Amino acid sequence: MLKNYLKIAWRNLKTNRLFTLINVIGLSIGLTITMLLFLFISSELSFNTMYPKKDRIYRVLTKTNDQFDNETWAAAAPIMASALKENVTNVEIAARIYKHNFGKTASIRANDQNYTEDLFFWVDKELLNIFDVQMVKGDPEGALNAPNTVILSESAALKYFNTLDPVGKTLKVDGRTQLQVTGVYKDFPYNTTLDANIMASSNGSWFYERHSWGNVSFETYCLLKNNAALEPTIAQMGKMLDDNVAKENQWYSLSLQPLEKVHLYSTSYQNSYASYIGSINEVRNLGYLAVLILLIACINYMNLTTARSQKRSKEVGISKTLGALSKSLAARFYTETALITSISIILAIVLTLVLLPVFNTITNQNLTISLLVNGNFFWAILGIWFFTTMISGLYPSLYLSKFLPREVLSPSLKQGKGSVLFRKGLVIFQFAASAALIVGVLVIYQQTKYLQNKDLGFSPENVLAISTRGIRGAENTNALMQELQANANVKSISFAQGYPGRDVSGYVLQKEESLEEQGMGIQANTADAHITDVLQLDLLAGERLPEFKNEGDTIVDVILNKKAIDYLGYSPSEAIGKEITLFYGATSKIRGVVKDFNFASLHQPIGAYAFHNHTNEGKSYVLVRIGSQDLTNTLSQLKSAFLKVAPDLDFNYSFLDQSLEQLYRREQRTAKVSVMFSLLAIIIACLGLFGLAAFTAEQRKKEIGIRKVLGASVVGITQMLSKDFLKLVVVALFIAFPLAFWAMSRWLEGFAYKINVGWEVFAVSGVTAIFIALFTVSFQAIAAAITNPIKSLRTE
Amino acid sequence: MITIQNLKKSFRTEEVETLALNGVNLNVEEGEFVAVMGPSGCGKSTLLNIIGMLDNPTEGSYNFAGHEVAGLRESQRTQLRKGNLGFVFQSFNLIDELTVYENVELPLIYLKMGKAERREKVKTVLERMKIAHREKHFPQQLSGGQQQRVAISRAVVTNPKLILADEPTGNLDSKNGIEVMNLLTELNQEGTTIVMVTHSDRDSHYAHRVINLFDGQIVTESQNRAIGAMA
Repeated sequence: MLKNYLKIAWRNLKTNRLFTLINVIGLSIGLTITMLLFLFISSELSFNTMYPKKDRIYRVLTKTNDQFDNETWAAAAPIMASALKENVTNVEIAARIYKHNFGKTASIRANDQNYTEDLFFWVDKELLNIFDVQMVKGDPEGALNAPNTVILSESAALKYFNTLDPVGKTLKVDGRTQLQVTGVYKDFPYNTTLDANIMASSNGSWFYERHSWGNVSFETYCLLKNNAALEPTIAQMGKMLDDNVAKENQWYSLSLQPLEKVHLYSTSYQNSYASYIGSINEVRNLGYLAVLILLIACINYMNLTTARSQKRSKEVGISKTLGALSKSLAARFYTETALITSISIILAIVLTLVLLPVFNTITNQNLTISLLVNGNFFWAILGIWFFTTMISGLYPSLYLSKFLPREVLSPSLKQGKGSVLFRKGLVIFQFAASAALIVGVLVIYQQTKYLQNKDLGFSPENVLAISTRGIRGAENTNALMQELQANANVKSISFAQGYPGRDVSGYVLQKEESLEEQGMGIQANTADAHITDVLQLDLLAGERLPEFKNEGDTIVDVILNKKAIDYLGYSPSEAIGKEITLFYGATSKIRGVVKDFNFASLHQPIGAYAFHNHTNEGKSYVLVRIGSQDLTNTLSQLKSAFLKVAPDLDFNYSFLDQSLEQLYRREQRTAKVSVMFSLLAIIIACLGLFGLAAFTAEQRKKEIGIRKVLGASVVGITQMLSKDFLKLVVVALFIAFPLAFWAMSRWLEGFAYKINVGWEVFAVSGVTAIFIALFTVSFQAIAAAITNPIKSLRTE
Repeated sequence: MITIQNLKKSFRTEEVETLALNGVNLNVEEGEFVAVMGPSGCGKSTLLNIIGMLDNPTEGSYNFAGHEVAGLRESQRTQLRKGNLGFVFQSFNLIDELTVYENVELPLIYLKMGKAERREKVKTVLERMKIAHREKHFPQQLSGGQQQRVAISRAVVTNPKLILADEPTGNLDSKNGIEVMNLLTELNQEGTTIVMVTHSDRDSHYAHRVINLFDGQIVTESQNRAIGAMA
């Protein structure tokens, strides 16, 4: 029986080549997109799932009060790990992870070579137990017990020592700290938040014995005891805080985040050392997009198949008079659907394999074919195939198999109004989806452009940030400055702790008269006098930081941004010379006021910012503004200048504008993926419309012939055929626009700086959708209109 | 009114070239009623299509009311056809989605006639064809005879000079067939020229002149003596 069904199905597909082709192309594209997105989504969902104790692992969260803008930080105070073990009975063990020098790169010297390491972490030895780090060399238990020990990932071992067994060798960090290699661990898989290449023992580090409840800079993971409940644990943590920190000094509360949520639910958390944070919203949105695209492709199938029902109905009628049951006919149509979807899915798998590298490039992912061959993917494909077949085949099978032979075989059979309405509904749905996607694409494009072109209030172009970690002493610093200044293409130079977007310290700015522990969170960046020149900041009042400090002058000079003096209640000119409370034990005086500038991602509104010359923090960078010409040469000259002063360090630099772009990596990825797939979705919808128009032209062949005989022109016929589709598209626009407006407004809510979704977006989308629809339909309409009417009117 | 000289029409398929009309010469005077007869495939419908300007001849000349039609582009043929020609088909060829009234109105719309005038004309012709009471019905709701009356109404509503009828009674029972032939005769008597393709001897007797086609050529031509209704 099945063989018979397959035979009929195959012949049917062959006879109706155009429809088969449209269906297969549409479904294949839809399925390919779905598979690619599925790979991406499953890769995101697979993060941190490989740890045997994953269900018991939690990250400590620090929730700040309104003084620090009620943020959630993914870090904790240095005392947290030991305090948890002592005070919270549900905690079995806990460990800190601290990325080198508050998240900076490390300059490594090994085997007489200099390197820059992005993923250098200082960790408590318990971490190896919590995450079951797999040691391939060295003592699995005690590798990090001794002070100044370090373990390397296999790839780091190969990179630094060119061997998988470097145990006993030493490496030098930032030209100073000597660490002895005591083990090698298996590389972490790509899908883990903990992605250290080098893990050094906290024993021997500056924070090892630091028992502070402040300095919230340490990601702290704890392993709860078996069957320990979360709520009582968090309650115990609250009590622990109360017992150790006076209520009035508590500027944060504590919480725990399950490991399974660390990757996807942390986008709004600050102070995490994770190099790649996923977004559950992105995963969801792409998931919706995948389903939508697949639905659009399925609708094509439903539409084209039921549109052809008049032709097929004869087959149904005859089969029924010969004794076929509705059930077996439904099975027959499902067989046909399954055949089409099978062909499409095989094509889609091939396309997925071919397009995976492209997709990886666009999304900055490393999705591999190995994901395709694992069992999950097989089941997923089977699921997708089943879903597609069921959805696509549902309406055609039910609709066609229900025909009664009496109706079907009568010559005057007309398609029921119901089926026509249903098909119109499907077309409206497709085009509403397409129009909404066009709106989405336009809004995403505009917002991305806006972010790229927004005046940040400073100029990040042509500014290099060269890491100076490891260069110690005024002598070396001065030498470096002179070497750099000697380059004709260098415009200005400033040594600073960090730069907008990176590596500054959080403090609390307090009003002078304020006695309570209230204030405003402020980012403070210790820098020299030239920082305002290098960044090209606008001074609203006062002057830049002083070039030199007299000995004994302990007053800290501060340049504040407008936001900060607004909080203090001064105008820019009033603010100059005023004392402020910023650093513990030091008097600070306002020297200058700069215009507000966007030092963080445009997701956040501008906060308070200070440049100062307090010596409590080191300067980790030299910022160099260079001319825009001859970049390659200038870079190599700067490199030789740097190595002249610091031959033991790696020349590690980044451009400020590129570094700022990193803040929008996820947006850019979402933008690229949505734009690309939306365009494909629109193409699929057009394919369907094309097929439907072909069908309509075919169905109305006789009518077109009659009208032409009676004097209708080609233009008239084309208009008549296009008008019907146009009506559907217009209805679709009315449905799509409010939904798209709502969805895109929500998306934009994530940005402090955003475009307004104006009527232009809808006008352009509407016109585009109408144009696309007309263009698609007119092919068929014109073809039908120029056909000689006698062909269609020939008496049967 | 119609002068056809040495008209040829060939159809080319992948394998063979068929000569549907092979040197047809024909004159039709204004006010004539001509029947074209012949076996299936002899070229009757092809000839009618060319006379109706739905198709172009491959060779030869066709002059309609002083205009040379052969070689005209489709848009030009459409212009010449509009208002001058009416068609009646065996299978009625009414548009199922339009009511009786709308079907009849259609050629007037294509003539860009005003609404009031259209209404007037449609009403008049429907009354005359005794189908006015069905003007709001759809073709599917009518009998074959009624449908053909609607088709004739549509053919004559523009007051064409020439009506081309392709087996107008082919799908009708004899009673309805006779009724349709009487209508055509009536129109002819009022001055409309009619060219009709038919298989039916009975119908051919309504014509003034009968032309017999065979293999694309006119083989005989005879004048009917008894002219007029036979019912």
